[in-house]
Amino acid sequence: MGMLHNLADLIKVKKDKMTILVLGLNNSGKSTIVNHFKKSSEQVAIMVPTVGFLVEQFYTNNVSINAIDMSGATRYRNLWEHQFKNCQGIMYVIDSSDRMRFVVVKDELELVLQHPDVSNRTVPILFYGNKSDLEDSLSNVKIAAALGLEKIKEKPWHICSSNAISGEGLDEGVQWLVQQIRFAVLSNRYGAKITKHHK
Amino acid sequence: MAIAKEFNWLHVDSEDENPHLLSTLSSCLTLSDVQCDNYVRLLAVDISLDDYEAEPSAKLKVFRGLRLKQEYPLPGIPTAIESLYIDESEPKTPVIAVAIAESVLFYRHLKPYFKYTIPVLEADDLEAELWRKLPVMKRETHDDLLLLLKDVDHAKLSRKTQRLLQLSGEEREAFIETHKDSPVGRIGNIVTMCCLKRVSSDANPPSHLVLTTDTGHIYVLEPQGFNLVYEAKICSYETAVPSLISVHGTYETEFCIVVGTRNGGVYLLRKSSSEGQEILKLTTPLTGLLLLPVDQTIVVTTMEPNLSCYSKRGKQLYQVQLEAHPVCIIPLPLTHLGITLVAVALQGGAVKFYLQRYLVDEFEVPETVAAMLYGRMGMEDHVLTLITQSGQMIVKILRRVTCFDPINEIGASKTTLSSHQVVDASILDKPKKSSIFVEQAAREKVHAKASYSSFQVELWRLRHTAARATIDAINSSESTISGDLTHAPVKLSAEVCGAGPAFRLYLTVQNLSTFKMASNLLVLLHADRRHYTLQQSLARLPSVLPGIPLRVDFEVVAVLDAVDKLPPASLTPDNAQIRVMLLKIGQSKPLIAAVVAMPQSEAAF
Repeated sequence: MGMLHNLADLIKVKKDKMTILVLGLNNSGKSTIVNHFKKSSEQVAIMVPTVGFLVEQFYTNNVSINAIDMSGATRYRNLWEHQFKNCQGIMYVIDSSDRMRFVVVKDELELVLQHPDVSNRTVPILFYGNKSDLEDSLSNVKIAAALGLEKIKEKPWHICSSNAISGEGLDEGVQWLVQQIRFAVLSNRYGAKITKHHK
Repeated sequence: MAIAKEFNWLHVDSEDENPHLLSTLSSCLTLSDVQCDNYVRLLAVDISLDDYEAEPSAKLKVFRGLRLKQEYPLPGIPTAIESLYIDESEPKTPVIAVAIAESVLFYRHLKPYFKYTIPVLEADDLEAELWRKLPVMKRETHDDLLLLLKDVDHAKLSRKTQRLLQLSGEEREAFIETHKDSPVGRIGNIVTMCCLKRVSSDANPPSHLVLTTDTGHIYVLEPQGFNLVYEAKICSYETAVPSLISVHGTYETEFCIVVGTRNGGVYLLRKSSSEGQEILKLTTPLTGLLLLPVDQTIVVTTMEPNLSCYSKRGKQLYQVQLEAHPVCIIPLPLTHLGITLVAVALQGGAVKFYLQRYLVDEFEVPETVAAMLYGRMGMEDHVLTLITQSGQMIVKILRRVTCFDPINEIGASKTTLSSHQVVDASILDKPKKSSIFVEQAAREKVHAKASYSSFQVELWRLRHTAARATIDAINSSESTISGDLTHAPVKLSAEVCGAGPAFRLYLTVQNLSTFKMASNLLVLLHADRRHYTLQQSLARLPSVLPGIPLRVDFEVVAVLDAVDKLPPASLTPDNAQIRVMLLKIGQSKPLIAAVVAMPQSEAAF
């Protein structure tokens, strides 16, 4: 694998690098999802609640991803907004079995979307309806309805159900996110070129 | 106001079509991590009284989030339930205590674990005597014997006797026969129960249980060996039946229990006392009582209807008029904001939040709230659960971005304004304007110009005097900081040690500059030789570097008369001083000239 990577590096002169922000309430499974994407040698067996935030790096879909794994605890949620500026995509993890806290999920999501560093940019948002294996878990459609996701018009978003422990559904979501970030980068470049032409 | 109520609380929609109805009280609700999985579940006692056919019964229901997960029948109607930790062992397992009649049932992992019954009280002498006589005396004399009990308060009789008095003549015989050997004693019913932390430590410390009975006793039960570790009487001279309780402190150090009784009295008990101290007596019945942890004040709601706050000595601090009768009241400790709010549910469905006397938030629910509970539920820290009178459960979550500022918009609420007036009138007793003040004000009005100019003259004179004093100080260098701008600023401080006649004078020279070095310095001491002898009066100082203070010391010996060992008569406190001069070599004017006042010398023996 390592050699293949090196080869890929040689062929691809400019390797894609993306920074994504992993958000979500405490105990929704953010760190477990990030842990799943890491190389098997770097994975940790026991997950503990994140304090503050962690920056993790992993390689998937031919891109190296810098994931900022934010803590979801109430007292650390005010740190989220400081990372909005330097992220290209957001991964929003939802515990699909914790119905009681959907209002909190929705409220926090609104706070994220209203923030000037997010609202004025095209940031693709990927929602993970995590813990889909639990008996109380809700389907994608129901989560989207409960959170009022259809109201998000300006940003590309996608929801997929996942199970961070088995890894089910995770790759599909990240694939989408990487694609969207690529589009966003391209359209930005294109936009920049147009403005140059105008000048 | 609409914005405030929308913005502080998030409403949790119950997803069920036909919601679960629950009839309960605030004391019969608790939050507990019963399954030890870090998911705090709501435990509620559902008391079914509506079914007139059957006996009233109660069930303990466990909710995960808003969903009913388990239910257990209880052997009676509980007065209170509590979730507590009894030891420090890991994993920490909470124990559920359910107070039913005279006993407390303990459940561990939701399985019966222990039953504790409060001690029996000694029966009245007359009553004990009666039970000794009844089985041996003839049946005809029974009525006369029972008549003797007329004078005894019915509530002070044992249950056995109470029952006996209710029976008709024929039934008594059999009753006496069956119960003649059972002990005569009365057992109180537990009326309130709450937890008292053993020591103040991190989250979930082990706790003791505080129990109060309708016989007016209060007990602290240690739930490991089930011993009573504290016993007290709420009131020394009468049976005060408690109805409300609030506890603060820790058992090991100091605790404070506030008990509200059915007839409006509020009593305070401490660890050191075995009898309650009456702090206030209200004429209107109490509906709620809280001992606030932060400022140690007692908040009381009454049927008046108002919310009043008292100090622990019974002094009223403030009173807020409420719009409707208060139904229940709970404290909301918001540790992340460092405040404790008081939530008051009013008849009609309004729920109001007070920060001290100020209304900071409010919302309405469709009907009157009968019970409230606040705390960590599920994974969320700040959850307020409301149970309405018809049994609906409403769950509100505090938003992360909240602010509790007093609602002070114009016309926001008349009650707050009127309450302010009530408070101001009751507390602040400002004196009236004195006649001197009034006369002076009148004079100033008449001679406005003259008084203004005389004030200005005085002001200028003051400024002139101050400027002069400053110049004098600079010229004579009589300050502790050198005023010469061409050199590094130097600070001198002095300290006299010793009781006499030998003193030691410590001088500290400090260079206040950040980069300049103070070099070529000399210290010269000068004293009246009739009063003080200096071994050494001149010292050359090494260069003083910025930031590093230099300490030099001199020996000063006070001159004493050889005969009577007393200082000379010419030494007075005014001239008992030593002049210290800080000089720079090659400069005639001292940088600093300071005077050190010497203390009175002890006589040498």
